[in-house]
Amino acid sequence: MTTQALAAPRRMADWARRAPLLPALLFMIVVTQLPFVATLVISFLQWNALDPKSRGFAGLDNYATVIVDPDLRSSVLSTIVLTVSVVLVSLVLGLGLALLLDKKFRGRGAVRTMLIAPFLVVPVAAALLWKHVLFNPEYGLFNGVLTWIWGLFGGATPPQPDWISSMPKIAIEASLVWQWTPFMMLILLAGLQSRPMDAIEAAKMDGATGWQVFRYLTLPHLRQYLELGGLLGSIYIVQNFDAVFTITSGGLGTANLPYTIYQTFFQAHDYGQASAAGVVVVIASIIIATFALRVVSSLLRNEVQS
Amino acid sequence: MKRPGRTLAEVLAVLAAAAIAFPLYWMVLSALKPESEVISSDPKPWTLQPSLDNFTRVLTTQGFGRYFLNSVLVALVVVALSLLISFLAATALTRLRFRGRTLLLVMLLVAQMVPVEALTIPMFFLMRSVGDAVPAFGLNQLGGLVLVHLAFSLPFAIWMLRGFVAAVPVELEEAATLDGASRQRFLWQVLFPLVAPGLVATSVLSFIHAWNDFLFAKTFIISASENQTLPLALLAFFKPDQNDWGAIMAGSTLMTVPVLVFFVLVQRRLVSGLAGAVKG
Repeated sequence: MTTQALAAPRRMADWARRAPLLPALLFMIVVTQLPFVATLVISFLQWNALDPKSRGFAGLDNYATVIVDPDLRSSVLSTIVLTVSVVLVSLVLGLGLALLLDKKFRGRGAVRTMLIAPFLVVPVAAALLWKHVLFNPEYGLFNGVLTWIWGLFGGATPPQPDWISSMPKIAIEASLVWQWTPFMMLILLAGLQSRPMDAIEAAKMDGATGWQVFRYLTLPHLRQYLELGGLLGSIYIVQNFDAVFTITSGGLGTANLPYTIYQTFFQAHDYGQASAAGVVVVIASIIIATFALRVVSSLLRNEVQS
Repeated sequence: MKRPGRTLAEVLAVLAAAAIAFPLYWMVLSALKPESEVISSDPKPWTLQPSLDNFTRVLTTQGFGRYFLNSVLVALVVVALSLLISFLAATALTRLRFRGRTLLLVMLLVAQMVPVEALTIPMFFLMRSVGDAVPAFGLNQLGGLVLVHLAFSLPFAIWMLRGFVAAVPVELEEAATLDGASRQRFLWQVLFPLVAPGLVATSVLSFIHAWNDFLFAKTFIISASENQTLPLALLAFFKPDQNDWGAIMAGSTLMTVPVLVFFVLVQRRLVSGLAGAVKG
């Protein structure tokens, strides 16, 4: 009896406490989940804007088409290759740079700003910069440098490769690594600067080498930061559209999933199928992310134990 | 006495910074070079005739100033609103216990994984319906663009802030309540300053996200050219036969400057901000 009588006002008080936070929570749910729910619904519809009469429920047809479509399958593969290579390379380079910047030295602020700058360039502009200013076979910087080096050694005919057509995937990856290394460096730098210094001092007193300190203290501490960088980087790079669109226009085997979906939407106008492809991307991302995070953390954990 | 290893590391850091920033130097240089030098097959790392022609051409092109203002307006409103909403929502998701809380957090990330290209069509229809009810947030409106950007910057902002809110001990809230502080006062005068480093880090990401966007502006601002944003202005210098590279590089430079300024202003707090995102 008494507990029930007390419960009602208590619940009221609870709600009064929650009230200031609820509008934000509701707004967030509506704004972030509604488009996703709409995508889910459309993915089960037969809906091609070029054929408006045949609109209707399609069941799993769109998913079946997506899974057997060879174009989509090859774009799945290039998405995975692109994401994994860019994230891994920029994590390793970012770790290297973060370690270099960890200790104070004169001009560190300037060096840090220079290193972070590529991340701040608008992606479309960055892709244009790489395509036309660096890779261009006639007046690009890379071939200009080759000519200059050849000139130094008296070579008459310097090689002038057409970078984008001879190595399209590496060209895109290079431009993305250039943009994402600074981001990884920032996160890892944050990790390095939050290390417990007393443990490291103690280890050094006990005669641990720099490598031992790095491997048994620094690296395990950085695990969470490596995971955070890997997760955020993967989500963005799986989604990458600007670089692929600008540098190769999806040609030469570089078309990734976002690009293929873009084509299905804006050129084939098949809304149902494009939405189904989108949902497949989500499922694949979740599987890959879960798997990758497990592998990475178990690797690091083993290293700590061994 | 410095160890030689340390000096080597510093030299390496400076060299790496120079190599990484060099393409940017090249971007600014191309913007300053006269056209004949930009497309010369013997590019030189300097120019003897720097000129601001490319910049004046960009700035006097129809609408560039307007697009610039639109971009600034959208990015600032998105940053302000996403700070406010993500702070309150992150507090709710950390401090309130309710059924489905974990599911909600996971769904935030899941929604983020849908390729943006696949979301544009559903969003297009949603925005058209919203526009019928509230014209200011529909298609072709900057308000609508703000709403779309919020949808994409909130999940990250909330995930980043969660760690900061969780790091503030619950005892502090109890103490504040005992001292007679209302919930509102606790939120704004105690919790808000404590999570400020996290707010800086999230605002940088939201700003960059909104400022860089190309696809949404292209898809949702269809017929109102006075409401276009900056990345689309770059396209004005693309021509089928001859692209105006000097102007494109000048435009790119002008677009990078505000982000750089914003970053330099907050960079000291950014590192500690990112560190706190992991503590939760």
